[in-house]
Amino acid sequence: MKNPPTRKTGIAALLALLAAAIVLVPALAAAAQVPPPPAGAPPPGLPRVFLDWPGADIEALGAEIAFVEFVASLEAAQVRVAVSPLAPPAVGFEIAFTGLKEFQGLDNKLGYAPAAGEKPEDVRKGVAAQIRIGLLRYAAKTPLAKDLSVRFLDQAKPTSVDDKWNFWVFSLSANAFLMGETQYKSGSYYASISANRTTPEFKVRTSVYGNWSDYWFDLGDGNAYESATHGYGSSALAVKSLGEHWSVGGYVEAESSTYSNLKLTLTAAPAVEYDVFPYSESTKRQLRILYRLGFSRVRYLEETVYFKTAESLLQEALSVAYEVVRPWGKASVELEGSHFFHNARFNRLELEAELEFRIWRGLSFEIDGSYARIRDQLALPAGGASYEEILLRQRQLATGYSYSFSIGLNFSFGSTRSNVVNPRFGNGGRSISISM
Amino acid sequence: MRKSLGAAGALVIASLLALGPAVRPAFGQAVTPDIDELKKTAIKVFLDCDSCDLDFIKTEITFVNYVRDRLEAQVHILITTQATGGGGREYTLTFIGQNECQDLRDVHKYFSSKTDTEDEIRRGLVKALKLGLMSYVGRTPIACRIAVDYAKPEAARAGRDRWDSWVFSLSGDAYLSGEESYQSHMGYGSFSANRVTLESKVRLGLSVDRARQKYVIDEDTITGTSSSWQASGLFVKSLGEHWSAGVSLDVESSLYSNIDLGLEIAPAVEYNFFPYSQSSRRQLRALYTLSLNPVRYRESTVFGKLRETLLKQELSLTLDLREKFGTISVSAEGSNYLHALDQYRIDTFGIVNLRLYKGLSVYVLGGYSWYHDSQRSLLGREPTYEELLLRLRELPMTSNHFVAVGFQFQFGSIFTNVINPRFGSSGGGGLSVSIH
Repeated sequence: MKNPPTRKTGIAALLALLAAAIVLVPALAAAAQVPPPPAGAPPPGLPRVFLDWPGADIEALGAEIAFVEFVASLEAAQVRVAVSPLAPPAVGFEIAFTGLKEFQGLDNKLGYAPAAGEKPEDVRKGVAAQIRIGLLRYAAKTPLAKDLSVRFLDQAKPTSVDDKWNFWVFSLSANAFLMGETQYKSGSYYASISANRTTPEFKVRTSVYGNWSDYWFDLGDGNAYESATHGYGSSALAVKSLGEHWSVGGYVEAESSTYSNLKLTLTAAPAVEYDVFPYSESTKRQLRILYRLGFSRVRYLEETVYFKTAESLLQEALSVAYEVVRPWGKASVELEGSHFFHNARFNRLELEAELEFRIWRGLSFEIDGSYARIRDQLALPAGGASYEEILLRQRQLATGYSYSFSIGLNFSFGSTRSNVVNPRFGNGGRSISISM
Repeated sequence: MRKSLGAAGALVIASLLALGPAVRPAFGQAVTPDIDELKKTAIKVFLDCDSCDLDFIKTEITFVNYVRDRLEAQVHILITTQATGGGGREYTLTFIGQNECQDLRDVHKYFSSKTDTEDEIRRGLVKALKLGLMSYVGRTPIACRIAVDYAKPEAARAGRDRWDSWVFSLSGDAYLSGEESYQSHMGYGSFSANRVTLESKVRLGLSVDRARQKYVIDEDTITGTSSSWQASGLFVKSLGEHWSAGVSLDVESSLYSNIDLGLEIAPAVEYNFFPYSQSSRRQLRALYTLSLNPVRYRESTVFGKLRETLLKQELSLTLDLREKFGTISVSAEGSNYLHALDQYRIDTFGIVNLRLYKGLSVYVLGGYSWYHDSQRSLLGREPTYEELLLRLRELPMTSNHFVAVGFQFQFGSIFTNVINPRFGSSGGGGLSVSIH
């Protein structure tokens, strides 16, 4: 009812803002006609290096280390490299790097120790390789950085370390979150203990956790609404790797939850997984198919809509998950189906998908959606939920489906390559994050 | 990258010195390097980054060992980010040498653009990390297995900025979710035009959002709606390394706040106790704002007003520190009306996240606000029961607070080299907080 006047005033306000912008913009453009180079701008050209290594073959070095320019005088240089033999009886060389001018303070010392009986030419090459590595940090601070790349010539096992704990990591954590205002208060608490071991051959994850929440609303006239929810559980997962595509494992879980009307449920579920792509490519793409057969013993808090207070259930689930991250964006799709054996009518089908796609330069969109067809709410309490529990979403409710869908479109153009940082008045871009 | 190498007829230098062991005397001598033996003496790295794809980095850079505790590391890499004028991010990689590498410190930068995808950003960051790590890797025997490629650029890729640092961005998002007895719709649209240079900053923006929730309870339907729009403009002029002055102009309308139309013009001045150039790591900013705010309400307020003009002053203090032992961010803000000095409001906010000692980290995050008759726009009538439970209307308050505390203690293996994606990587619950 109030919309038309709002919209009109909105447009008027926008016009006022645009007018202000029009006044501001030319003034600014005039003020910033000649943009000076930003402070701390990298020096142009190749880093100039003065080499202090008596008898060195500068020409050969110049060919081997093409990303710097060797200069004859120290005055012209930005980096000084001094190679000196170690004092006997030690055999080898010390290579000292000293940053000059804009590289002031960037110093380093590397070494080279030839193997017994190494040919002089190999020794020279060995020293040259160390000089090259030592000089990279200077080149990395110039526009050259984009033309340089570093490669590791081998594949080393991530487990080739001396580890007295044999890859076990233990973790304890506790968290509390409280909030309130004059007419509203709430608190949530979460604690967990976990023990994990991850190696390429075997993965073990175990944890015990609990969470508690309470709410308090002042409804006025001396009335208040109060409620509390909680959940506890523990879980264990063990997975054995069988080559680049197959894995087998199992889950053991225990859970208690007021939201889901579960007094205690115990589940044991063996599972097997196949990844169409090698697991070693998992950060770039994966297509995983997981089959799980779960046996559960369930006890309910309240009698369910099917008049049960306890039951034993056998369930099977199959899921297919595809994920890809590429220069154009990323995509993921997951489809999961499950059913109970005692009555196949009790089943569930879930689809989840996400896509972030750059169509053209500054134009990109993202879509994210999920849909679930739900026919397996065995734990719904016969008593239903109160009005307040529904509005506060404290209880699982009877439903045949649930969905969520979001879409976003972003178009940016202009000086999107500008690297200027101006933190004045806050730049709305600092982020702090904590994850435990 | 590989393509451009080929096309440029690149000069590729690979240090094919597989048999010439480059060994720093201090690290002993390996005559015939076995790669798994070399890996044991590789540099120990602690990656301190909130917004990085750690799994990707660990699978791409395998010539170092990753540890989970900063004190164990030989190099602590602290990565902080700030927004750039082009809408991308500036990544500051601070390499802090520790233990055997205490003498070696370095800072490298990497810039991402607003139009970059996740994959491009993580690849760029990996490259910057590799180059920065070389100064440390050069001190370990594994250096002999590193190759450096340099593709000479074909021509200078200099570009003139025809947009004169202006960046425009248009975005729209919609979000839908629901089940049989509950539905939620949200829509959000925004347009922004920004120009950020070191000398000045202009931000213009317009945003609209709308949300609707629907509950079906016993055949009754309860609908909650909220909507707001906002137009804003900000101009800031730099006055040296510590001072800035500016003015902001805002127009807003909000159902939650009972504001039909509000206009605010606010000149402001800011002082940063640290130089602005250190803002990625530390800031202590004091901002004083004087605002003139003519406003028209939707419904009569508790003060019986339908429209009024407010004159308000505001002082805020913000401290942001990002050190190797953790993050500290604290702010306090006080404001009052000049026509009634006893109508004031004070807001405080703080976040402290510390890595105290081996494996032990703690965080505290909290805010407290005091209101003293400062809610000028408060509804004159009592909100309905649904408006209360669904938090659709601003309620009278004398104070409001939230606090979150938690700790985590980890022990066991210090290495985190291994990525094992089998059966998915299950999150361990817990808490994740992110503030922008």
